[in-house]
Amino acid sequence: MNQIYLLNILVILESIVLLVISILLFSKTKNLTKLKQYEEEFIKSQAKKQATQDDFLPMLVHELRSPLSVIQGAADLLIKSTDDLSSEQIHTLLNQIKTSSSTLLGMVGSILDVSKMESGRFEINKTFSDINPVLRDECSYFDSLAKIKEIALDCQTDEHLPSFNFDPERIKQVLNNLISNAIKFNTSGGSISIISKKVDGACRVEICDTGVGISDKEKPFLFQKFFQASNQDGVQKGTGLGLVISKGIVEAHGGKIWVEDNKPKGTKFIFVIPTK
Amino acid sequence: MPKKILFVEDDEGFFNIFSVPLKMKGYDVVHVPDGSAAVEKVITEKPDLVLLDIVLPGMSGLDILKELREREETSVVKIIMLTNFGNDDNVAKAMDYGSDDYLMKYNIVPSELPDKIASLLGEDAEFGVKMMES
Repeated sequence: MNQIYLLNILVILESIVLLVISILLFSKTKNLTKLKQYEEEFIKSQAKKQATQDDFLPMLVHELRSPLSVIQGAADLLIKSTDDLSSEQIHTLLNQIKTSSSTLLGMVGSILDVSKMESGRFEINKTFSDINPVLRDECSYFDSLAKIKEIALDCQTDEHLPSFNFDPERIKQVLNNLISNAIKFNTSGGSISIISKKVDGACRVEICDTGVGISDKEKPFLFQKFFQASNQDGVQKGTGLGLVISKGIVEAHGGKIWVEDNKPKGTKFIFVIPTK
Repeated sequence: MPKKILFVEDDEGFFNIFSVPLKMKGYDVVHVPDGSAAVEKVITEKPDLVLLDIVLPGMSGLDILKELREREETSVVKIIMLTNFGNDDNVAKAMDYGSDDYLMKYNIVPSELPDKIASLLGEDAEFGVKMMES
């Protein structure tokens, strides 16, 4: 009788052990399914990312080749046709070489900046300065280009903004990128406002334009490498690195950059940098 | 009457450089910097040849090429694609649409361009040779 009782207990115990193993196996299988799902999603997202980069790499190559073609062409003319060229033409060709070389150096600089940002080696040189003169200088710099395109450009600086530690050259680079985009995607008769504001422990800068705007669908991709918004007809030029670098620079200051609609029309880029 | 070339190119620097030997050869070179104006300009200017970039504001060079070939009044104009955008897809598409030639900007120097054009227009290539030798 005792033996039967013991056997029953053993059978019950065995069943419990089997049940526990089954539950463990089931949960493991569930985890594996989840893992498999994660893996598939990761592969898909990587493929999508790769596809985006594959799409835009030819454009980057195109952008690098363009100034090189001009340099090569100008040099060819200077070597082979010097006797047929006027001194003014020679001067123009030399200027083209200079301009294209600067463009090319700028692009190589951008690629290096992104590479440093991605590897965590990007550094800024902060100095204790006033940001308002930087903003006003940038407005003056772009004033003639805006006038040519019949776009009104104004600069509204908050004189209560305190001086703080930032890298003026790098902030200039951010403003350069944002203002040139605001001009590029604006139309004749439009306007651009550069506004600085003192906010709680930070400096807020807004670049507001009345241009073609950016669709909600494209906004999340704006700060991604090689991405270019499809807000103009034709084929868009550019390395697709400007906003990536701007984001990297602002974040290196401990700040944040984002984009909003500039109601009723256009786009508003905003960046905030801590002043303390 | 000099032959007319319509140069559709938004890069001012590139146009300035590559138009020099064409003007020296005696061609009448008309500059169109905006893709959206290109088709209309071909219709009104009636050029002998179109030099057509691909990466253009307003309308891409491939779309311009397609439209020019589809329109009766512009269907036979000589067209050379002159671009730095050289992936196989674009070349195949351009040839399929009816481009007469596809030149990569970085593969050609200004002094060689008149020869290419002369040969397509059935002219002699003397000027180009002279420039190469000087």
